[in-house]
Amino acid sequence: MAELKILAVDDSPTMRRIIINTLKRAGYNDVVEATDGKDAIAKLKVEAITFVITDWNMPEMDGLEFVNTIRANAQFKGLPILMVTTRSVKDDIVEALKAGVNNYIVKPFTPETLKQKIEQILAG
Amino acid sequence: MPNEKLYTRMQAEISSLATSINDIVSKFKGLHNPLEESSERVPQATQQLDKISRETEAATHQMLDRIEGITQREEEVMKGLQDLKQQIADGRLADADRLIDSLLEKSDTTCNDAFTIMESLQFQDITTQQVNHAASLLEDIETRLHGILAVLDGSEECVDAGSDDTDRRPRVFDPHADLSDKRTVQADIDSLFAQKK
Repeated sequence: MAELKILAVDDSPTMRRIIINTLKRAGYNDVVEATDGKDAIAKLKVEAITFVITDWNMPEMDGLEFVNTIRANAQFKGLPILMVTTRSVKDDIVEALKAGVNNYIVKPFTPETLKQKIEQILAG
Repeated sequence: MPNEKLYTRMQAEISSLATSINDIVSKFKGLHNPLEESSERVPQATQQLDKISRETEAATHQMLDRIEGITQREEEVMKGLQDLKQQIADGRLADADRLIDSLLEKSDTTCNDAFTIMESLQFQDITTQQVNHAASLLEDIETRLHGILAVLDGSEECVDAGSDDTDRRPRVFDPHADLSDKRTVQADIDSLFAQKK
């Protein structure tokens, strides 16, 4: 099975580093970083990304707008998306679900939760 | 008649004064809402700053607990390696084998602790959002106070806070961001996603 190429989208360099290290520990070594939704879209156009992990609150283009944008593109309709954010209000979660995220993690998260959610998404 | 002229003139002056007083009273009434709203934002900003202080202290202590564990364990590993060297020299291979297993276990625990520390470092992202929230409240107060000062200075600017400072970068944050344990919240989210399948 081909290794996942994961796009980690977060405006916090600290969070990106934590996510990358957590992914490496779970066995996912091929990770591309993006600083916000706009940067993520640019990266999606040039990298063969097979999984997206995205924050919500970001400048330029926030996570929700990013998800809506890529889901509107037939090329990325089936791309697995995991949202990792501090937002825990039910309305926000429902909005993310409607936008098309495959799963949702609330920060602060444990490495086990991140690994579990990725595996759940991949298992369909 | 001179008295009638004086009376008319006094009437006009008093009328003009009454109009000015009405204007001033109206402007002061207009200051009430911005002042009230600003005074509400000050405790909100203070609370947010206190929350940052508490939560960063808690996160720091969690990390210190793990670091103390790592330091202790590393001392045990050092001693263990010295014992191992002696056991090998003495030919006590069964003892050496058991000691190696114990040392591997300690190393694994140390690695787990290092990852727990990294997990705790998420506080930096969350407190950045909390700081941005507090800063946003303070910027709002500043804008309103500028508006109030403008009125008191007698300028034509509207008191209503809404005047944007275009030099300020927009602040991005979740006003509810915090470091509390999210296990219950995560379980609720998981139920929601399970229902949707």
